[in-house]
Amino acid sequence: MKVRVKLYGMLSLRVPGYHHSQGIEIELPEAATVKDLLDHLKISESQGAVVTIDGRIQKAGDKIPEGVHARVFQSVGGG
Amino acid sequence: MKLIRVNMGSKTIAVEDVPKDYSGLGGRGLTAFMINAEVPPKCDPLGPDNKLVIAPGLLSGTSLPNTSRISIGAKSPLTGGIKESNAGGTVAAALGRLGITAVVIEGQAANSELSLLRIDQAGEASLVAAENYKEMRTYAFLEKMLEVYGKKNSVLCIGPAGEYRLSAASIQSSDADGRPCRAAGRGGLGAVMGAKGLKALVVEQGGNSADAIADPDVFKEATKAFTKAVKAHPEPGQLMPNLGTAALVAPLNSMGAFPCFNARKGVMDGWEKISGEAMAELIKERGGKTTHMGCAQCIVHCSNEFVDKDGKYVTGALEYETIWAMGGMTGIDDLDTIARLDYLCDNIGVDTMSTGVAVAVAMDAGYKEFGDRAAAIEMVEEIGKGTEFGKILGNGPAAVGKHFNHDRVPVVKGQAIAGYDPRAMLGNGVTFATSPMGADHTAGNVIGLCLQGKLDPLQAEGAVEISRNLQIAMAAFDCTGQCFMATVAAFDPEPGEAFRKLLSAKLGTQLGPEDFPGAMGVRVLKAEREFNKKAGFTNQDDRLPKFFYEEPLPPHNTVFTISDEEIDRTFDL
Repeated sequence: MKVRVKLYGMLSLRVPGYHHSQGIEIELPEAATVKDLLDHLKISESQGAVVTIDGRIQKAGDKIPEGVHARVFQSVGGG
Repeated sequence: MKLIRVNMGSKTIAVEDVPKDYSGLGGRGLTAFMINAEVPPKCDPLGPDNKLVIAPGLLSGTSLPNTSRISIGAKSPLTGGIKESNAGGTVAAALGRLGITAVVIEGQAANSELSLLRIDQAGEASLVAAENYKEMRTYAFLEKMLEVYGKKNSVLCIGPAGEYRLSAASIQSSDADGRPCRAAGRGGLGAVMGAKGLKALVVEQGGNSADAIADPDVFKEATKAFTKAVKAHPEPGQLMPNLGTAALVAPLNSMGAFPCFNARKGVMDGWEKISGEAMAELIKERGGKTTHMGCAQCIVHCSNEFVDKDGKYVTGALEYETIWAMGGMTGIDDLDTIARLDYLCDNIGVDTMSTGVAVAVAMDAGYKEFGDRAAAIEMVEEIGKGTEFGKILGNGPAAVGKHFNHDRVPVVKGQAIAGYDPRAMLGNGVTFATSPMGADHTAGNVIGLCLQGKLDPLQAEGAVEISRNLQIAMAAFDCTGQCFMATVAAFDPEPGEAFRKLLSAKLGTQLGPEDFPGAMGVRVLKAEREFNKKAGFTNQDDRLPKFFYEEPLPPHNTVFTISDEEIDRTFDL
């Protein structure tokens, strides 16, 4: 399945040629999880990566519905 | 370990050893204990009985990086309760190196006389007439101070708003480049300073009479370990030097918790235009600085220098809370306008958060349209000019709400919330409601734990406990003078232990996890709550405004659901 992903913080530097206005589209197996998505992007959770879909923060084991837009951030403790 | 007490009425200065009752205290802990012990709780915050306590942290002036936060405390004219507001810059380190535990401003100048307090490299303090600087804005004032006293000086000062004694007036702190762009913004402490008749504190840098470190070898070793952990942490080590706290714009909007249009919505259309990522790109394109050392001994460099299209400096350290207040709350999705508003607030000497929210309340009441850039600038300019409306605005959102008879005013104890809507991040709602400071994100911000998946931002479960624990931890770290950007690393077990070790080595004690942050934080919060109780506060003051309980926030369409009984359990300490 295809998932459109936008990257924030310093994560976009990991994807050569990343353009923020479009984000990137990646191909994941059916029933892929948030962990699969991060693995695909070679981002580990220990780097403070956070995924949101439809306004909700996702857990590593959450399944990704087809056709969604995902955003990936780095965790921040406060302003 | 000395206190400098300055009586503005008699123009006398007394230097004393730190009394036993205050020993082992610094920063917020010291301001809390001194105010609770020495300020009559029901006094007029702008009268002679209030005291302004300026205290570096326990670690300020040591070799530990990121320890130049200055705590400033008093009874607040904005909240009517106890207040500590801390700011970065260089003054805390300068005072620490002189072995000055606190500067206490007492009494009140006669006939609105204006003075400045100068402390030289030998630690000698003197009052100097400052009549020539009346109503001078802070950038021009700073230039003047550095011209008169030399570049190696650290300055805390007020602008016109402080001299007008407005309840949202800030105390501005000079950064590493000598610009007045750091602020003890919250709680109207600039008005207390103005009411005392004090324009500025000017401290010569380079002192070498810092308090002794009890165990220098252990301190050195633990400092090395902790510093390494700060550099290795993804937040202070990577994200902050590149985007600063503006990195929060994206997650907050993506969670639907970005209060905008005076907290009518949780996602702002066009937020990508004012995100940290967009700002960094714009600053780079224009040749500004996306990373910058703003404070003494900083190794994080979360600061920035925002420049205009010609590459000319506009403002320093455009940060998340200002972008939220001046952009999100007002519906202004333009970084140039937000940067201009930030500069104006720093220059006039008002809190960007209270002021942005005050502008938003005026817009919500129909005074101007949301998103009206020119109107927002004009409104803030009115504060500096001291017009009738400017004075209402400069007294903060509650004063504006009263003026327009408008009840959608997002404040607790009179102080504006920060950029986390309590309906979509319940834990911060608990902190806003219960902090002795009024609504204050720095008192215990749950955003990190929400992003790490340890707290569901939309559920009540765990919110009270987590807010309590964070408030205790922050009250303790606020005693040390360490910046939150470095403190983030201390929340991990190993660096946390290194931090306790270095603090123990500084103080000559053996602190365990139950002592720090635990017992120290509880001690500070108890003193603050005791003062507020004596000032007349009850549990009924620990409540959010009604609309947070009744008006669903899109996109999640949730309200704040934590009961009063649960809220009141926050401080069963």
